[in-house]
Amino acid sequence: MSEVKIKSNNLNVFYGDKQALFDVNLDLNEKEVTALIGPSGCGKSTFIRCINRMNDVIDICKVTGNIEIDGVEINDENLDVVSLRERVGMVFQKPNPFPKSIYDNISYGPKIHGKGETKSELDEIVERSLKKAALWEEVKDRLDEPGTGLSGGQQQRLCIARAISVNPEVILMDEPCSALDPIATAKIEELIDELKKTYTIVIVTHSMAQAVRVSQKTGFFHLGKLIEVGKTEKIFKNPDNKMTQDYITGRFG
Amino acid sequence: MNFVLIFLIVIFSSSLFFYGKSKTKSISIERNIKLNALPKFYGYYLVLWSSIPALVFLLVWSLFEPVIIKSIIIETAANQGAIFNDKNEANLIYEKIKAIHLGTYFGDIDTILKESAISYSKFLNIFTNSKIVLIFVTIIASVIFSLKKIKNNNKAREDVEKILKGLLFVSSLIAILTTLGIIFSLLFESIKFFSVINIFDYLFGTNWSPQRAFIRDASAITAAEYDELRDAFGFVPLIAGTSFIAFIAMFVAVPIGLFSGIYMAEYASSKMRRISKPIIEILAGIPTVVYGFFAALTVGPFFRQIGESIGLTVSSESALAAGLIMGIMIIPYISSLSDDVINSVPQSLRDGSYAVGATKSETIKQVVIPAALPGIIGSVLLAVSRAIGETMIVVMAAGLAANLTINPLESTTTITTQIVMILVGDQEFDSPKTQSAFALGLTLFVATLILNYIAQRAVKKYREKYD
Repeated sequence: MSEVKIKSNNLNVFYGDKQALFDVNLDLNEKEVTALIGPSGCGKSTFIRCINRMNDVIDICKVTGNIEIDGVEINDENLDVVSLRERVGMVFQKPNPFPKSIYDNISYGPKIHGKGETKSELDEIVERSLKKAALWEEVKDRLDEPGTGLSGGQQQRLCIARAISVNPEVILMDEPCSALDPIATAKIEELIDELKKTYTIVIVTHSMAQAVRVSQKTGFFHLGKLIEVGKTEKIFKNPDNKMTQDYITGRFG
Repeated sequence: MNFVLIFLIVIFSSSLFFYGKSKTKSISIERNIKLNALPKFYGYYLVLWSSIPALVFLLVWSLFEPVIIKSIIIETAANQGAIFNDKNEANLIYEKIKAIHLGTYFGDIDTILKESAISYSKFLNIFTNSKIVLIFVTIIASVIFSLKKIKNNNKAREDVEKILKGLLFVSSLIAILTTLGIIFSLLFESIKFFSVINIFDYLFGTNWSPQRAFIRDASAITAAEYDELRDAFGFVPLIAGTSFIAFIAMFVAVPIGLFSGIYMAEYASSKMRRISKPIIEILAGIPTVVYGFFAALTVGPFFRQIGESIGLTVSSESALAAGLIMGIMIIPYISSLSDDVINSVPQSLRDGSYAVGATKSETIKQVVIPAALPGIIGSVLLAVSRAIGETMIVVMAAGLAANLTINPLESTTTITTQIVMILVGDQEFDSPKTQSAFALGLTLFVATLILNYIAQRAVKKYREKYD
């Protein structure tokens, strides 16, 4: 059993008057893929956006409770979000490469954090990140072309490479394949399998099949509450909760 | 008369809409057939067919009627023994006849004029009556034609679409032709100017004093006279003054406008934005002449006082005062437009930047601004063309003397101001002085065109496309 990397304790999130998460207690293990499933609007994305404090961007959003990474509280006003986000990368639902060259897309993060002071160091980071994201072979001859000119699947891998470039410990993925075709999806899933050797990964997905394929642990959310969490195998074969059973067999959602 | 006719045509054909609609409905019931289009399309069809031919006829008639009447009247007057040597005299007689007809002529009326005036009103009557009859005939013919079509259950939808497309085409044609017309009129007058003044003397001359060419017959200018005129039409001081004032204005407006646009779009709360944006936009609604007051009566003297207190000679009409006020005037263009452009940059790009740990200002500088750059440059360009074209503030605050200077504390002048100066008051149109206004207009037009082209190329090259 691997160690707990991220621990949430009575986590509540409010958007204005509306409560989006209710007392979520969830442990995420190091170097493992945790899948979060549940019907739309159930709070999965809200939960992972707490881990890198992306909810800060939304004015009306308020978070209470605790989230610890390696035992350090991150839901703390005094915490430096810049270094938190350096440790916790994120990949979004829709590929969102910057309208810059492929090279600049990857070197953007390291430059901001002052890594890679010389051109050759940056070159190395770019190459390593693209290789890890399994994109290097496809783009190595056209690094100065715009990232927005790539196909959807390539763009998403570019975004993964961008997240990797700052050498994070955790990667959050918010439905990373929902805008992609099956072939691109298969490539990303393969990549996730490879990445879990180095990173702790949390993936939000609407596809049960994907959760089964890529994750070791699965959490089921419903209406802002964490209904059930456990080993993926157990959740999908023999869930404890009736609601989980109904959801994974497609009776609602 | 014509307005009454147009009004009647429009009323009549609009009322046909309901007739066409109900008629086709009853046709479809009577004959038990499916109509080729909704009944309302038959209504539109009738409206368009009954109004457009009549209106076009009226337009063409009104264009040619005066010309034809004039030639007839002048001919009859000549037959009656009126004497005129050239076209101008003929025109004069025609105007006299018209004035007699209207009862506004107070000179001596001889028999020829009197006779002509009588025949003028006779012809006018004939023409008006036949106009009304012919329009009536046109309407009846086109209504009969379109009714027949409707009864045959024609494809009214396609026909109406075609007619509408035609109307839209004609509108854009009018827009294009008017632009071309303006350009050509500029061009022809400028050619007249350049046939007197050498184009190189104009483009590279450093002295502008067109009043020296006052009252001089351009068609018979001697070499000695030309030598004297050679350095009266030097364009350089004007373009220098124009660019200088525009530069000062942009120096004020671009940073303030851009920064306030960024603040509005990225930092201001929605409440703050709701209140302050309209306030900034009010600046754009102030008439330029008011800015002119302000520049001439407040800012100019203020600068002179400050200058005197530190021992500088500052002209009370200075490029600095005009440029500064002009800059304030164009702030809202830049801030409002760049605010809109920045707002339209997708949130997902900002999220992507925050997610790798960039701060807000890093995100704005490195992701948002580059993505919004084409729009921002567009707004700056609009501001530049405003600055170059602005006249009133310069007239009031920067003076009229064409000094070739880069001292912002001296008075200077711009192309547009000089055009105003040249064309104000009584002018004879064959003097190079008057014609030089058209040459200036043309040069300004070409300069703006080149500027736009360069900017568009630059935008294309540096734009960062997002979808």
